[in-house]
Amino acid sequence: MGAYWALANELRESCPYFYNKYSGGGYWVFTRHDAVNDIYKTPEIFSSASITPWEPDPIYRFVPTQVDAPDHIKYRRILNPWFSPKAMEAAAPMIRETCRGFIEPIVPKGKCDFYEAFALRFPTAAFLTVIGVPTSYTDVFVGWVDAFFGGFGGDPEGAAGMATALGEMRVFWTEQLADRRRDGHREGDLFSYLLDARFDDEPLDDEVLLDMCTVLTLAGLDTTRAELAYMFHHLALHPEHRQRLIEDPEIIPLAVEETLRYYTIIFGDGRKVTRDVEFHGVQLKKGDMVYGLVSGANRDPRHWEQADEFVIDRKRNNHFGFASGPHRCLGMHLARREMAIAVDEWLKVIPDFELDSDAQLFERGGGAMMSLSTLPLRWDVNS
Amino acid sequence: MKLCVNEACQGHGRCYTLAPQLLSSDDEGFVTIRGGDPIDVPDDLRELAEEVEGTCPESAISLIDA
Repeated sequence: MGAYWALANELRESCPYFYNKYSGGGYWVFTRHDAVNDIYKTPEIFSSASITPWEPDPIYRFVPTQVDAPDHIKYRRILNPWFSPKAMEAAAPMIRETCRGFIEPIVPKGKCDFYEAFALRFPTAAFLTVIGVPTSYTDVFVGWVDAFFGGFGGDPEGAAGMATALGEMRVFWTEQLADRRRDGHREGDLFSYLLDARFDDEPLDDEVLLDMCTVLTLAGLDTTRAELAYMFHHLALHPEHRQRLIEDPEIIPLAVEETLRYYTIIFGDGRKVTRDVEFHGVQLKKGDMVYGLVSGANRDPRHWEQADEFVIDRKRNNHFGFASGPHRCLGMHLARREMAIAVDEWLKVIPDFELDSDAQLFERGGGAMMSLSTLPLRWDVNS
Repeated sequence: MKLCVNEACQGHGRCYTLAPQLLSSDDEGFVTIRGGDPIDVPDDLRELAEEVEGTCPESAISLIDA
C-alpha cells in the first residue's frame, strides 16, 4: 500500500499539469494545491456534469453531485439539515451503540480482518440507522456498493455488475418510497422527509428521488470504510499515536481530519469545462475534462508544513479530503462522527493492536476511491 | 481582534469544531455568522482564532486587527 500517494507526490513534483490519454479520449490533470483549489472555487467554469474524467457522459446521474448552479443549492438545502452537525449530534448515541455492537463480538477473538469484520459493516449500519432503514439490510447494501465500484474505475469487466447493482438499488428505493406513500410517513425516516420536501414549491419527482438515494448510498458507504481502514492501519503501526488518543481523546477529531488529509482516498476529482479558458498555463476548451489531483494537493509542500508527516493534532487543516466549493461532501459530518466514535470505542476495549501479517497489503484505487482490500489485525486477549 | 466569515462558507464545520467558544453552526451546518457582521475575539482566544482562520478550506474566514 501507499503506492498511489507516492505516485501523486511524484506527479506533482515533476509537473504542475499534464494530459492523460486513454483509448478514445483524454483529460488534463492538475497536480498542485493552487490549481485544485481554483478548480473547486470556480464551479461556473468547472462543471460537475461529470466528475469522472474518463467518463464525460456517464450512464448515471448523481443528484445533487452532478447538478450545477442554480439548482444545485436548492437540492443541498433540502439535504443539508438531515446530515448537519446538529442532526449527527442527535444520532450519535445510536451510532455509538451500533459501533459497540460490532466491536464487542470481535474483542475476545484476539484477531480479525478489520476491513471485513468492521470497516465494511459499521458505516453501512450507521448510515442505514441515520436514514431510517433497518440494519438487517447491511449485507445487501455492502454487496451493492462493492459491485458498483467494481465498474466505477472504468474496468470493462466490472461494467455489468455495476449496472446490475444500480438496477437493484433503484428497485429497493422504489419499493421504500411506495411503502411510505401507502402506509404513511414515519419519524426519523429520510424517505418520508424527501417525500415532503419541495423544490421550487413542487414535490421532488421520482427520478430525482431515486438519483438522490443512489448517490447517498454510494458516496456514504465506500468512502467511510476505506478511510476507517487507513486510520486503523496507521494506528496499528503507531503505538505512540494510540497512546496519545487514549490519553487525550479530545484530539480524536483532529486525528480524523489529519487522516483525511494524509491518507486521501479521493485520488482526484473530475470536472467538465464549460467554456474556453486559460487556466494555470493550459488553454482549456469547452467540453474538456479536467482532473484535480486531490491526493497531490493534500500533500503539496507549497501549501503544507510537514506535508509528508502525519501530524496527529494538526489544527490548520484545510484539506480537500471532503472536496471544497459548493459540492463539498454532504455526508462529512456523519463520516467524521463515525470515524471518531470508531476510534474512541475501539481504543477503550482494544488499546493495543498490531498488524497480523508481514505480507504486503494491497489497495485498489487511482481511478476511483482508494481502499485497502484487507487489514488483518491482532491483539492480546485478557483471560 | 475581530473575526468574520464570508459567504464562501460551505459548512465544513472545522471552525466551530475547533473553537466552540467562538462559533456555532446553524441547522444546515453553516457557521451562524456566515455573511454577517464580524464578531469580537477576546484577547485570550487570538491564537485560536488564527488557527481557525487556517482551517477553512474555502478561505472564508478573515481576521481584522482592531
